[in-house]
Amino acid sequence: MSDIDVRLDDVWKQYRLGAGRRADAFWALRQIDLEVPRGTSVGVIGRNGAGKSTLFKLLAGITAPTRGRITIEGRLAALIEVGSGFHPELTGRENVFLSGAILGMRRREIAAKLDRIVAFAGVERFIDTPVKWYSSGMYVRLGFAIAAHLEPDVLLVDEVLAVGDAEFQVKCLERIRQMQAQGTTNLFISHDLSAVERLCDRAVLLEGGAIVESGPARDVVASYHRRLTVAPAGTDQPDRGPETGAVLTNLTVHETERPTALALRTGKAVTVAVRFAATRPLSNVEFELRYYSADGKTCLAAPRTGEHGERFDLQPPGGVIEFTCDSLPLKPGAYYLGAVMRDLSTAKVLAWWDGETRVFVESEVETNGELYIPHRWRLRSADAVDAVSVAPPASGGPRA
Amino acid sequence: MSRPVTVYEPAALAQVRPIADLGRLRDHADLLLTLSQHRIKVRYKQSRLGLLWAVVQPLAMMLVFTLVFGFLRSAPSGETPFPLFAYTALIPWTMFSSGLTSAAGALTSHAALLTKAYFPREILPLTYVVASFADFVLASLLLALLMAWFGVAPTWSVLWTLPAIALLVGFLIGLSLFLSALQVRYRDVALAMPVLIQVWLFATPVVYPLETVRASLPPWLYALYVTNPMAGIVDTFRRGAVLHQGPDVQALGTAAVVTLLLAPAAYVYFKLTERTVADIV
Repeated sequence: MSDIDVRLDDVWKQYRLGAGRRADAFWALRQIDLEVPRGTSVGVIGRNGAGKSTLFKLLAGITAPTRGRITIEGRLAALIEVGSGFHPELTGRENVFLSGAILGMRRREIAAKLDRIVAFAGVERFIDTPVKWYSSGMYVRLGFAIAAHLEPDVLLVDEVLAVGDAEFQVKCLERIRQMQAQGTTNLFISHDLSAVERLCDRAVLLEGGAIVESGPARDVVASYHRRLTVAPAGTDQPDRGPETGAVLTNLTVHETERPTALALRTGKAVTVAVRFAATRPLSNVEFELRYYSADGKTCLAAPRTGEHGERFDLQPPGGVIEFTCDSLPLKPGAYYLGAVMRDLSTAKVLAWWDGETRVFVESEVETNGELYIPHRWRLRSADAVDAVSVAPPASGGPRA
Repeated sequence: MSRPVTVYEPAALAQVRPIADLGRLRDHADLLLTLSQHRIKVRYKQSRLGLLWAVVQPLAMMLVFTLVFGFLRSAPSGETPFPLFAYTALIPWTMFSSGLTSAAGALTSHAALLTKAYFPREILPLTYVVASFADFVLASLLLALLMAWFGVAPTWSVLWTLPAIALLVGFLIGLSLFLSALQVRYRDVALAMPVLIQVWLFATPVVYPLETVRASLPPWLYALYVTNPMAGIVDTFRRGAVLHQGPDVQALGTAAVVTLLLAPAAYVYFKLTERTVADIV
């Protein structure tokens, strides 16, 4: 027995594209060495195609490595949405037993947790309805709720925040934190950098199937940002930080009154902090914040410091620019945040944060429509109304 | 508290550990149970006849054969009523043919599941074997009714049906494991199944007695004929249930040897394929 729960020794994985003898072979993973000590959380980040899902499949035992050796101490469970195990004709209850068994739970264990699973998914009323009548949201939540109630020694999480609505995603995050607190060893394989930063001690960065960086989660995430060279839509391709003299190093968001909460709330005060580093004095600088939709495609709002005529002169080594809003106008859901730093005299982009900060918004009250408009209501008596406005319409009939 | 240690290494024959794999299968017994149960439930949900469908196939085939042989006035069943003679053989046969046909596609029809979660993959074909066995039990109840109808009472020889059923299950599992793993690489298996089953039906003493074969073939050819385990299995089942006879020892013995050779080899082949099935399925 060692303190290392997950160990990968020189692991390689080769895939063959196409069929037959002349199929092209490519290495999806190369020389992966990784150790996850007991009770710690390690994040695996990287672009699409970097080898993240291959690594997930190897760790979950779905497929075997081509070379090398993977050793796992303890019961490993993958936190995945197992809707594919669902049979449409079976009821929610029957499917919980089926999916739970697929994930390796015993019937007795499932029976004992059934109520909690159903409540977690929020499908109490429909548990004896065939799942073919479920909405896609209910389907996904139930699938995920089952996995969330495994009690493994090692938890493997793959894109945890890719399912369900914001409220449900927050629930999942809280459940993960709970498991971490109980001493579960965690491996997060994720696109979601802010989740990795919040939930992991260490991280490794995959590129082209190999580990190119490993270290404290914050450092590796920051380094990943530096490697991304794609500018957000609508901005000029900026020069690299060192040349322009500035880099945006972090972007964090929190509810002003609850700085540690996982989600923001509609209508509450919010603080966004953009940390920047400057290598030389910069003058006449403006900052712009961008709120993107959950798919990262639509820019919903882009408040600029320049709107208010505010422009800054910055000094090395840098600082933090803070954005506050007294009442968050976003509806419950998931959003991305980006930031841009611009030189107003040349209109050149100096640095940017490329929309990888993900935020969740939940709400205590139901709001209709696309936006929440910060507001107050007041009822006034009829006398007061007459006195102030609604003068009778200008005299007389239809206009010519 | 000691924790289980799992090691994943490249897929190679030397890495296959059938005994340890059987242990893992036992750990997942609940999955086998739940999945089989649901397989049976789903099949008859929303159908009017429900469980009756389990007996429709052997019953329909019995009627067809009875009509054909009645028309030809040459039923080869001796003193036993031909419908009973045919139906008795058709129930183990139907379990074999329908079980094998569905089990052979067990891996390819669950591609999405195979790439999402790990569980011992043999559970998938095994559930179809369990489901076809459930049909077999229902069809056997009808056999009891038919025997009462034709006034054929069982004797102690009915105990011979037990080794026949055991061999049937073993042979069906072995062949299902082999064909389902083979079908991952060669989809031809699915296309070949209907032909295979059809030819196999006539190579098995279902509508004719095994005795006739023994009488008309030279011994070496008969020895070859009974290497089809279904010959010994179906014949032993029928003799025990309705003909009140012990088995043809050569046929039953050969079936046992073939099954005992096939099943372990098929399991090893299956477990070897399993390691990379998610990559190619």
